[in-house]
Amino acid sequence: MPRNICVAILVAYRAVISPLYGDVCRYYPSCSRYAMEAIQQHGVVRGIWFGARRILRCHPWAAGGVDDIPEPRQRFATTRAGFVLARKEQ
Amino acid sequence: MDIFALLMWPIKWVIEAILVGFHWVVTALGGDPGSGLTWVLSIVGLVLVIRSAMIPLTVRQIVSSRKSLEIQPEIQRIQKKYKGKKDQFSREAMQRETMEAYKKAGTNPFASCLPLLVQMPIFLGLVQVLTDANNQKAGVGLLNLDLATLFSNSTLFGVVPLHMTMQGGFAEGSIPVIVTAILLTLIMCATQFYTQLQIMTKNQTPAMKESPMYKQQRILLYIIPVFLLVSAWLFPLGTMFYWLVSNVYTLVQQLIIINKLPTPGSEAALAREARMARKRQRMGLPATDDEPADGAATPQIETKTQRQQPRSKKPKSEREG
Repeated sequence: MPRNICVAILVAYRAVISPLYGDVCRYYPSCSRYAMEAIQQHGVVRGIWFGARRILRCHPWAAGGVDDIPEPRQRFATTRAGFVLARKEQ
Repeated sequence: MDIFALLMWPIKWVIEAILVGFHWVVTALGGDPGSGLTWVLSIVGLVLVIRSAMIPLTVRQIVSSRKSLEIQPEIQRIQKKYKGKKDQFSREAMQRETMEAYKKAGTNPFASCLPLLVQMPIFLGLVQVLTDANNQKAGVGLLNLDLATLFSNSTLFGVVPLHMTMQGGFAEGSIPVIVTAILLTLIMCATQFYTQLQIMTKNQTPAMKESPMYKQQRILLYIIPVFLLVSAWLFPLGTMFYWLVSNVYTLVQQLIIINKLPTPGSEAALAREARMARKRQRMGLPATDDEPADGAATPQIETKTQRQQPRSKKPKSEREG
């Protein structure tokens, strides 16, 4: 699935660049995790849109807290690393 | 003009204004307008202005983390609830509860990535401004053709042109350029390494040190110098000076924070408390006035919250078969 290309980029980002500045996100899950889940469940276009809006929401004046992705109609199954499988979650 | 250039235009304009302003000041103070040193000082000025403009962000963050100290009992309650539970789902539930607690208290100890993100377009803008000036092209604002020519012809100590990269230095076989670039990289690595080490060893709580993020941070501590070497290869010396001074600024700021406003519960905070206690002792006051001295001595009861899976003593190969 095309969304797996984006997932691969995010996995690499989360492994290499993210730890450089540690835990800084004011939300749970963190912005990169949110973007990854959004892309996994909603696809590339909507996922990137949700992720971008989340990054704009995450600033020093935001309250923070728990902020999950909008619940999709059906969840896709994912592998441990986060790659999306072509079947629905059981 | 494409959309990207349009977005960068105001940033570049401001950078040029600050650079030209400092160049004017240094020249007025008796600096040679064509010398590399004048331009380096202008870049130092640019760093000072940009980083000082960001001080409110930093201070806000520190005040916020002070405030989150008030709900520390609540956080400790959550941590106790999940003590010893290392599986993914417990950790996730713990983080969710912690975040909710912070939100309810109207505070948050995390900075968000905005302070880092705003620096990126500034650095990009500076690279573009310096590249244009190197090519003797007038900038978008106050950096006119004369100044651009002046910059592209400027050399540090008469031998090191500011617009050269390490790559260019090797291509032309210019020893002074190579030596300067390597020297800058080394200082940059040292400051970055030291800052990171200070934060990691002194300004983090034991709970932060237990997170998996901490281990990754430790590994990356040794990878950063490689990144810096690559960037030194690609970026002109002028931009490296910007980066270097910015690093030094971060280092000094971090040392001040560790000394004056450490993260509550970290090693630096304990050291600060000890310093304050000694000071009080010198002044003839009791060591502390709010906490009983034996408060820390109450025995911690080990609670096992997670059930251990029973394990057979026999190895698997013997059980099956």
